[in-house]
Amino acid sequence: MKVTLATHGGLAAPVLASLPPDVVDTHALPESDAAELSRLVAAAVPASAAAAGNPEPPKRAPDAMSHSITVEEGGHSSVLVQSDADMSPEFAALLRWLKEHVARD
Amino acid sequence: MTSEFRHHCIVPPYLLERLLKDDDGEVRQAALNTMLTTAHLRGERAVRAAFPGLATPGNARRTIYDCRNTTSLPFAVLARSEDGPEAADVSVNRAFDVLGKTRDFFQRVFARNSIDGHGMRLDGYVHYGYEFANAFWDGRQMVFGDGDGRVFSDLTGSISVIAHELGHGVTEHTTGLEYHNQSGALNESMSDVFGAMVEQWTLGQTAEQADWLIGREVFTPQIEADALRSMKAPGHAWNTEKFGKDPQPDHMSKYVNMPDTYEGDWGAVHYNSGIPNKAFYLTAATIGGYSWEAPGLIWYEALKASNSETRFQEFADTTYRKAGELYETGSAEQMAVLGAWQEVGISITGVSAGLARARNRPAGKNGDATAAVRALTAQVQELSRDVATLKGRATAGG
Ligand SMILES: [Zn+2]
Repeated sequence: MKVTLATHGGLAAPVLASLPPDVVDTHALPESDAAELSRLVAAAVPASAAAAGNPEPPKRAPDAMSHSITVEEGGHSSVLVQSDADMSPEFAALLRWLKEHVARD
Repeated sequence: MTSEFRHHCIVPPYLLERLLKDDDGEVRQAALNTMLTTAHLRGERAVRAAFPGLATPGNARRTIYDCRNTTSLPFAVLARSEDGPEAADVSVNRAFDVLGKTRDFFQRVFARNSIDGHGMRLDGYVHYGYEFANAFWDGRQMVFGDGDGRVFSDLTGSISVIAHELGHGVTEHTTGLEYHNQSGALNESMSDVFGAMVEQWTLGQTAEQADWLIGREVFTPQIEADALRSMKAPGHAWNTEKFGKDPQPDHMSKYVNMPDTYEGDWGAVHYNSGIPNKAFYLTAATIGGYSWEAPGLIWYEALKASNSETRFQEFADTTYRKAGELYETGSAEQMAVLGAWQEVGISITGVSAGLARARNRPAGKNGDATAAVRALTAQVQELSRDVATLKGRATAGG
């Protein structure tokens, strides 16, 4: 499973726009970490799906960022998107885990 | 002379406060006359708010909450309140202090009582999220992250950023400029204008002395970037190997078209704000002196006269009209506004290019009576500043 985090908008939108997305590949992770990531992704899906299915347009909070987490596995890919202004605790937990585990140059 | 002074000069409320306490009875009377005339423009409520003693006590109270690196605002813990003791946490104290400075700025300079004009409480949330490199206004409160420590530092370290976020609240409660495309870029620009003015007001800097950078403190020392944005030179705040060059345009010919989505920064609102930002800088630089005086008042009055869908052209026209109303038609201030917009590629509706070219005529050399009054007004302002400084010294020395 490959998980990609891309962040858009916010106070520093033009800076973020030119930074590459963060990528985590479970093949490169210890088994326990890979299992933890799968669990966090599964937990974040329902709230993100509910947000995506909401007929109301997302709230445009000035300077809020949007976080897109793309999950690719076995030829399938799905994208979870949430913003700073309306983020579920499960999505926040996944976001934090990714920030803690992406490789830094 | 007093009547000329009264009719042609809009003295900012903070200055009136000082003048009303002046030892010279004539100065006090002139200030009072000015205040009464100003009341027609501002409304009685605003003028009353200019007197600290008459402001409702307990209004615009500050509360700082610590999110403890979570993204949950309801579970954040109280870290400092208006009457509470200083916190041990530097981010908490910085947010508290700068929200106070910003609140004082709006009160003393624009006679505006907090974000909504009615003493709305100021709630700031710090340590939001994990390595959160952002700050935002969510419609009710201001939220600040710690930065990631690699590219971005703690966002509470920047006066211009904190005042920028509070500025979004002010814009929401005045015109509600829609946060996309040109109205969104104007919304962004107004926050930068407020951010720059609050910083300059705090530091006592003139337009010439200020560096006009927004978020000078947000990048870590490892990052070779001056700031998030430059109002004086949009497009030149950063040029780094890691994330390229600042893409802000400084002219309509370079307007950035992007989709009206999160990915497209809602139609490039943080990009195209460079155009009105530059117009404000040019206005302030041409008029000279303090940005929060004539330039700030013109922009603030234009903001209040705008609506949620106002675009650049309409806003430019409104600043020109307000400059004429607040000062005089053809005044140095109005000519500065005209020339500034012209320089970023926006011609004021119904004004010929010839008049725009006349903008370089220095202030106070028109040779008419009003010019003499204007020069005198400037002298009175300068004198009152000197008197205030002397009084400050006397107090400090005593
Ligand atoms: Zn903003």
